[in-house]
Amino acid sequence: MSALFRESEERTLHAVPFMVPLLLALALALQIIIHSQQATPQARAEALEPAPSANVLRAASFGESIVAAQFSVLYLQAFDNQPGISIPFRALDYNLVMSWLQIALQFDPQSGYPLMMASQLYGQVNDEPRQRMMCEFVHARFLDAPDKRWRWLAHCAIMAKHRLRDQTLALRYATDITRYAGTASGWARQMRIFILEDMGELGSAKVLLGGLLATGEVTDPSELHFLTERLKALESAEKSSSTTKNRQ
Amino acid sequence: MHITTIGKYTALEALRTRVPGTALLALVLLVCASLFIRELAVFEAMRFQTGFYAAAARLVAVFLTSVYVLASITREFNDKGLEVVLALDVPRTHYICGKLAGFMVVAVFIAIIISLPLWVLAPAGAACAWTVSLTVELALITALSLFCVVTFSQLLPAAGFVAAFYLLARSITAMRLMGAHPISGEGTPSQQISLVLVEGLGYLLPALDQWTATTWLVDSPPEPVQLLGIFLQGMVYLALLTAAALFDFHRRSL
Repeated sequence: MSALFRESEERTLHAVPFMVPLLLALALALQIIIHSQQATPQARAEALEPAPSANVLRAASFGESIVAAQFSVLYLQAFDNQPGISIPFRALDYNLVMSWLQIALQFDPQSGYPLMMASQLYGQVNDEPRQRMMCEFVHARFLDAPDKRWRWLAHCAIMAKHRLRDQTLALRYATDITRYAGTASGWARQMRIFILEDMGELGSAKVLLGGLLATGEVTDPSELHFLTERLKALESAEKSSSTTKNRQ
Repeated sequence: MHITTIGKYTALEALRTRVPGTALLALVLLVCASLFIRELAVFEAMRFQTGFYAAAARLVAVFLTSVYVLASITREFNDKGLEVVLALDVPRTHYICGKLAGFMVVAVFIAIIISLPLWVLAPAGAACAWTVSLTVELALITALSLFCVVTFSQLLPAAGFVAAFYLLARSITAMRLMGAHPISGEGTPSQQISLVLVEGLGYLLPALDQWTATTWLVDSPPEPVQLLGIFLQGMVYLALLTAAALFDFHRRSL
């Protein structure tokens, strides 16, 4: 063990000519001064390059596909690190953003990072076409692995309902979650019922809620109570609307 | 007897040239770098940290092992230590096998040290499988480095060959995929020749991109049969490289 810390045989500092440490200090000082005069690098939105092709990335990663995917999203993320979230996102070419997210997901399909970025980062820009583009991207990728990716589509469904004010789109997403994501949480699978209710489709909502309760899928007592009360509320709402129609 | 003695002193030389300290320093730097990566990620931070550390640690371990073997043998050649050993009537086979055994001990040590943080970052079973696979990979790199330095005698060409071999072995699967499915020119003579060459390389090189995989740590560990396959292939390639080193060393004129 002492061999690890044995002192090496070196001459004293006095053996070094005076000019040598002076040159060393001067060169280091010049390097620091030159660096301090240069502007801090900024990631400009228009500088975002298209993502490399899968073949190129696969060869360049030397088999480390997960790390290649991780560095792809971190590189893309560097273009977000600017003050003011909406302005830089507006300047980004979302087709290029999608290409990076796509390649990251292709190389690491188990990761939720690209879909998180799509739904909760790039989907938050105050620009409807871009929001829709991200939602459709999340929806397309959801269909590849519904049980793993339902939460991102659920976020998009909520975004479609409350921010895009597109109930039809929200219903489409919520229906696909119910249809394909068998292991999704109860609240996500029940979203379509409440969206239908909000759309005034009381009859459809009542049928779906009744069916959900009848299958015994819901086991939590609090949730059962809540959904049963909702069903009663739907039934009374439907009765009052049909009574109004008869009176007319 | 010669093999054991040479192996023991080879391992001791690693201790005296601060290989353990270097490996520990590399570990500390890698952990710091992985913490930086973890801070960059806003989601799945542990996955990012584990993935980065595993990939970087693997490269660093290969680099440390290879450079140590190459430098050690090159120094022995230049200091005429080899002539002294052979003048003592040590069989050449014993010399190569003894050196290989000593370097294997160093490789195992480096693999264990470098993989320590993964026992915290990943499940124990996955970390164990990764460590075992890295050990086999480093054993292969050790034998390759020994073969290269015996063949080339100089550090630079030997190091270049080891680097080229390793990178090629890690990308051979990607190259075979690209060769089999070209974007254009499918069926042309040049594409056919390229395909034959790439497939031929695939026969000669181990597919290192499937060894010591990061996905074992962040997704699911490998099946035992997969690990056994890696071990067996590693042993076969080790025997091949050892035979090649012995062949060249016996032909070397001293």
